[in-house]
Amino acid sequence: MQPTTEQVVRLDLPSSMQHVYLLDTIVLQILGEMDFDEETTEQVVLAVIEAGTNAIKHGNQEDLNKYVHFEFIIQPDKIVVVVQDEGKGFNREDVPDPLDPANLLKSSGRGVFLMEACMDSVTYEKSGTIVKMVKYRVLTEKQ
Amino acid sequence: MTVDIRKKEGITILDIEGRIIGSDSLALKEIIDEQVDAAEEADAKILLNLADVRMVDSSGLGIIVASYTAVQKKGGRIALLHPGGNIRSLIVMAKLVTIFDRYEDEDEAIASFYKSNN
Repeated sequence: MQPTTEQVVRLDLPSSMQHVYLLDTIVLQILGEMDFDEETTEQVVLAVIEAGTNAIKHGNQEDLNKYVHFEFIIQPDKIVVVVQDEGKGFNREDVPDPLDPANLLKSSGRGVFLMEACMDSVTYEKSGTIVKMVKYRVLTEKQ
Repeated sequence: MTVDIRKKEGITILDIEGRIIGSDSLALKEIIDEQVDAAEEADAKILLNLADVRMVDSSGLGIIVASYTAVQKKGGRIALLHPGGNIRSLIVMAKLVTIFDRYEDEDEAIASFYKSNN
């Protein structure tokens, strides 16, 4: 499926890490229907998993009464993913650089870095409670 | 994610299959910790076979890094076999290329555990 008009898929997930697997399945399905190539698909899936994990763990503190809200906005040339949690937000500038030699061997702290590395753009709104990510489709010769 | 454990020439090989995402990282940590505890600490020789792993998220990568360094500090060693899928690119992006010992041949990987002890 290569949409000619915008389509939006919405998903509200309770804040449990068990539901990260649903994200994996749903995003793979959406991008498969959009004919994204395999490498780009894996990048988007990883970025959505990282954003979802951050929202569940750090945003909503795994509080099952809170939800993470996802919007997958499917457009002809790109997918826009909006992830909103119900937490207090965060300041992107306060996130340590995982490539700093002092942080290289740390067991955590790579999620935001990987989101930004995998997507074409990542922006933060409403004190960081909303993450908006964009990935453009790579056109193959057949397309 | 599923993990099969086998022994070969004194090396514990974890054949991992699937995607290491979400809470899989904690399950993987428990399995690695069990293997380290079962060995004499300084004698933990663990090979993570990632041939059938298509995706690892930052939590999974973090657990591999943490286990790798923890075992090394105790005198043991963890090496990676067939790091494919997105793992190879994650290792490059996260600047961990020089940290991990990576192999594409199982026999070579096993031999490396004994070379490094000499």
